[in-house]
Amino acid sequence: MSEPVQRASRRTLAVTPAGDRHAAPLARLLRVELRTEPRRPRTLVALVVLALVPVVIGLGVSVSSADRPGPGLGLITAVSGNGMMLPITALGVALRLLLPLCVCIAAADALAGEAAHGTLRGLLLAPVSRIRLVWIKAFGVLAVAVLQVAVVTGAGLLAGLILVGGGDQLLTLSGSSVGLGAALARVALAAGWTVLQVAAVGAVALAISAFTDHPLVVLATVLGGAIVFGLLGAIPAMDWLRPVLLTSGWASLSDVLRDPVPGDGLTHSALLAGVYLVIGMTGAIVGTLRREA
Amino acid sequence: MSRPDRTGTICSPPAVASGEPTPDEPMRPDRAAIAPVPPAARLRGLRKVYRRTVALDSVDLDVPTGAVLGLLGRNGSGKTTMLRLLLGLSRPTDGTVELLGEPMPAGACRALTHVGALVEGPGFLPFLSGRDNLARFAAAEPLVRTSAIGETVNYALHRVGLDREAAIDRPYRGHSLGLKQRLGLAAALLTPRRLVILDEPTNGLDPAGIRDVRRLIGELHAAGSTVLLSSHLLSEVEETCTHVAMLSAGTVVATGTLTELLEADGPALEISTTEPNAALAALRHCRIPGYVERGLVIADLVETPPELVLSTLASAGVPVSEARRRRTGLEELFLRLTEEGT
Repeated sequence: MSEPVQRASRRTLAVTPAGDRHAAPLARLLRVELRTEPRRPRTLVALVVLALVPVVIGLGVSVSSADRPGPGLGLITAVSGNGMMLPITALGVALRLLLPLCVCIAAADALAGEAAHGTLRGLLLAPVSRIRLVWIKAFGVLAVAVLQVAVVTGAGLLAGLILVGGGDQLLTLSGSSVGLGAALARVALAAGWTVLQVAAVGAVALAISAFTDHPLVVLATVLGGAIVFGLLGAIPAMDWLRPVLLTSGWASLSDVLRDPVPGDGLTHSALLAGVYLVIGMTGAIVGTLRREA
Repeated sequence: MSRPDRTGTICSPPAVASGEPTPDEPMRPDRAAIAPVPPAARLRGLRKVYRRTVALDSVDLDVPTGAVLGLLGRNGSGKTTMLRLLLGLSRPTDGTVELLGEPMPAGACRALTHVGALVEGPGFLPFLSGRDNLARFAAAEPLVRTSAIGETVNYALHRVGLDREAAIDRPYRGHSLGLKQRLGLAAALLTPRRLVILDEPTNGLDPAGIRDVRRLIGELHAAGSTVLLSSHLLSEVEETCTHVAMLSAGTVVATGTLTELLEADGPALEISTTEPNAALAALRHCRIPGYVERGLVIADLVETPPELVLSTLASAGVPVSEARRRRTGLEELFLRLTEEGT
């Protein structure tokens, strides 16, 4: 009976004297964001689907190589008997649509989704300053992006080892083979580069998320944009536009599989992703400052 | 919440419970009487236009510190818009907003630390439990220490009567309407607040819930917090508020203390008597203005205290069966003012 009373008086001590603090500790807010994001059901579904990408490729390769060895369809056939190539190939495949889609869902939920649930208002009233809120949300989206790429890479390594085999070295597209350590370094390079690309998509999605209350608008805009970018990149007359299209740089992921690794494409696409990141974050901040919450 | 014997102890203001007044101890009404305090909120020339719709126009309003101010208005009269502007969620098209002395929205972080609000219904993430949702907001509260988030949540749940509610640990999406509303109230009461803003707080609540909200408002008022409450329920305002502001079509049509507004037609005493003519004669003899209306003798109290009226009648031997102050009634006043406004 006296327990709640005790709790109440203890609680008064839990509140710091007023006037000296107008914002909750940033680390605490980031921790809460990290704990909340992976608990969204759709984040979990996305992770499962992403984990299936390398598994399906691995299964496909192991089945087809059994009865139909020989030249095949680019990267995917090169995985045959070459397990260390699977994570990188899976990243390349997932980056075409699935990874942008999944990070887009996270970014759509981050601001537009919170606004739709009325929770954005709650955070602003706590209060969390608007600029801080954008950085916290960007951190959350980045965390989801890292998690997604890690899942594809991890599942790729496992599937490569179990389904494809030949995991003690990497046979490059140039014909040479590199040892396990160097192969893992290349997988890490591919994963890091992919995180940067996915983060760039996430930042643009976050910017759109800051301007709307409807998560679907974010998805439609970003995926529609990605498709348009893909088309523009495929039209020869639009060649001059290719250096600024984020999606056109994504083909350079296969450079990681060459020996030696040609750095131009990877560097250019990484820098381009950086530019998209800056633009996206600027948009997200402007949108959140202007927003009627 | 349903155990008054315990709530009395638990819901006492924390500063008292700890035995030591903190610098943040809310201004108490008695102290407010000694030193004049600035209003908890001040709106001047406020105007808000959404595209082509004028939601608010030339609104001037002070929310006195320590008051329970009821914001009355029909649906769409601009109540929520006003609260959103007050909280810095939305920018005014024109005019100024001050909240706890801070200009809004520029000073939002400084002011909102001491403000709890439930605006436009409760907002929580559907996939988290009610408790986890509350913990998420508690973590964003500047005044809550990290180690005390759990306790803060438990205490807030206790205040709104949810501490024994098993559903609170299940996902929010399955909560009943009343549970959601109580959870929204809990979020507004996470820390001791100098100002609490409640937008139609009894929405979705059953009679017991409505009674609990009234009790909560009473507790906040007793602890010295200012409460700003919007409602379209006149009885709610009449029972809980000390001050009233009426809003119609985006403008404030009446403000004042509840008593002032209830006596908007001028103070008067309604007297039931079997001998109205004798009563009128006695009043006239003492130069007290009066008249008969619907069988009641109405004595004007503008210059006369009610005691004098009654003693006059008693000494004249007029049998008085009942005498009460005339109240226009909020409902009548509200209907009259808002119909004029539209």
